[in-house]
Amino acid sequence: MNAAAWICLLLPLAGALAITLAGERVSRRGAGYLSTATTAAAFVAAIVAFADMLSKPPAARPHATTSWTWLSAGRYHFGLTLLTDQLSVFMMLIVSGVGALIVAYSIGYMDREDEERRFFAYMSLFVFSMLLLVQGGNLLLLLAGWGMVGLSSYLLIGFYQERESAVRAAKKAFVMNAVGDATMALALFLLIQHTGRLDYGGVFAASPHGGAIANLIALGLLGGAVAKSAQIPLHTWLPDAMEGPTPVSALIHAATMVTAGVYLIVRTHPLFENAYVVEDLAAGLGAATLVMAGLIALVQVDIKRVIAYSTMSQIGYMFVGAGVGAYPNAMFHLMTHAFFKALLFLAAGIAIHALAGEQDIRRMTGLGRTMPRTRLAFLAGSLALVGIPPFAGFFSKDSILAATLDRGWFGAILFACGLAGTFLTGLYTFRLFFVVFGREGDAHPHLHGDAEGPFSMVSTVAVLAVLSVVGGWIQFAPLWTPLTTWLAPVARPISEATSWEEAASSAAAFALGLAGIWVAYAAYAARTVRVPAALPLLEKKFYWDELYDLVFYRPADLVSRALGRFFEQPVVAGSIGEVTQGFRVGAGEVSRAQNGLVRSYALALAAGVAVLAVVFLSVR
Amino acid sequence: MHGPDVAWYLVLAALLFVTGALGVLVRRSPLIILLSVEIMLNGANLALIAFARRLGHEDGQVFAIAVMAIAASEVVVGLGLIVAMGRRHVELDVDKLRTLRG
Repeated sequence: MNAAAWICLLLPLAGALAITLAGERVSRRGAGYLSTATTAAAFVAAIVAFADMLSKPPAARPHATTSWTWLSAGRYHFGLTLLTDQLSVFMMLIVSGVGALIVAYSIGYMDREDEERRFFAYMSLFVFSMLLLVQGGNLLLLLAGWGMVGLSSYLLIGFYQERESAVRAAKKAFVMNAVGDATMALALFLLIQHTGRLDYGGVFAASPHGGAIANLIALGLLGGAVAKSAQIPLHTWLPDAMEGPTPVSALIHAATMVTAGVYLIVRTHPLFENAYVVEDLAAGLGAATLVMAGLIALVQVDIKRVIAYSTMSQIGYMFVGAGVGAYPNAMFHLMTHAFFKALLFLAAGIAIHALAGEQDIRRMTGLGRTMPRTRLAFLAGSLALVGIPPFAGFFSKDSILAATLDRGWFGAILFACGLAGTFLTGLYTFRLFFVVFGREGDAHPHLHGDAEGPFSMVSTVAVLAVLSVVGGWIQFAPLWTPLTTWLAPVARPISEATSWEEAASSAAAFALGLAGIWVAYAAYAARTVRVPAALPLLEKKFYWDELYDLVFYRPADLVSRALGRFFEQPVVAGSIGEVTQGFRVGAGEVSRAQNGLVRSYALALAAGVAVLAVVFLSVR
Repeated sequence: MHGPDVAWYLVLAALLFVTGALGVLVRRSPLIILLSVEIMLNGANLALIAFARRLGHEDGQVFAIAVMAIAASEVVVGLGLIVAMGRRHVELDVDKLRTLRG
């Protein structure tokens, strides 16, 4: 049933357009309800599409519809094609479902903010862009969604446009993403040149196996994925993106945007499988990012930044999973991560909301006494993030780790990084938990009555808390693997762990996660261990910003200054003066011909006629 | 076809036209300039009539009559202007009338 897919795609767009066009005619609250209703209806449409697919045999499930030819250029024709298959339906459910919860939450969070309507229009646009990205039936449409996701994130990160840091963060996110867009576009050019098409099936069938071209194509796609998913080396925009309102952070981290990179790798996995080196590179970058982000998260003092680094770290796991070819495991972790990361952000948002915008964890202490239910929700999210059974993260993260063991010595390195990451995850997550939601402290939230926040916020957090507990139960490799079976026609894994490997990695990850929690408890709750001073290396986030400043900004600044001094000032500015002077002198000379003597005008006329007569007579 | 060839008429018409044009260009008195313009018009008339006779059509003669009517109305306007100038004691010299100067 493709009507459902179209409705799912177009409803958020309709919501965004309606809010934009209605302007003042819709109340601020009304804009929130409209946005929530369209996104929730999109979720219902996604469920309908999913149910329809369930009723068919696996071979008949993928279905592509082309509404019209979008671009025609010579031999190449690209249609506006929606592809509804197992993978895109899976993503549609996550994007619209978690997206609808976050938009509903925003009704309470953004209450009494200025320009709520603009906010909800942008949120709907964001969901639409992401749906376009995952539903697009060819790479060109995917690229269009890709760019629109970048645009929406720019608009939302810079939502507080009067705050200079927000504007700067928005620009940074946009520019970093544009780098990825560019490499991706280059990869598409190569694909057009070598295969002549951009629809998934045709590209996969015709793309070159191995060799420089295959590597370059995969590298370009990886560049896009790395930028969108905030992996090394294009990751620095993500922590700064915390300048946006908290629901935006949740939307970027859970339902849209950063998961797009993982989706891209899984969607185009045949291209990556043709270039093993690049696939290993993806896994390596993911492993490096997950360790680095975990280390940086240990010393951050902004609650949202800590969660942002944990996102980078978790996306690193997904890259490892996708890079070693365990595609269903990566998608599984994407789903559980969407649940618990949205939960963490939204629960943190309740605390921030109650503390009138305070985000510094050194001043957010002792909320466990005053906000016990938020504490419980945050605890559920934290346990899911660390991967403690039976919470969601346990099932998804450990199966990624187990899959790495299939890959020889490189896999062993990835496995070690993943385990180190698990320990760090336990440590930084529960540092946050014990500091903010501990029993000691003096933060005084403004609470009205019994509730810890508006109904729209509390209820969505409760739903996400339940999902963070039970969301992982849909798959427990290798005993119970419906998700892998479901995705197999689209993304068949090329590395599968044995049950022994699954058991070993689960035990190791569980033990290290618990160890991390125990260290955090000792240092931040029981205070039996003194916390060492933070390393400047970590506080400066491994000097990435400084590196980019030195490599890109400073030389460009220097060159432009030099050009301004030695070229623009003397040559351009000087020549403009001379040109105007020339025109002025010339005009003065010409105006002398207009002397007011009628006879001279008559002479000019007669001379002109004479010249014309000669010309007509001589040129026949 | 009687009389001289049409070329002779054309030569005379050209002579009249050039004489008139020279008069317009070199004389300063507006009265003489008006006279010279009349000479030019009559040169053109002569050419029209010569061709009309040569080709046996009446069109040229009709044009000549139209030119005469235009010449008469032009003289009315031009002489009126000159009389107005004389009444205001403006010197009758076109080179002194330079208000069109840019």
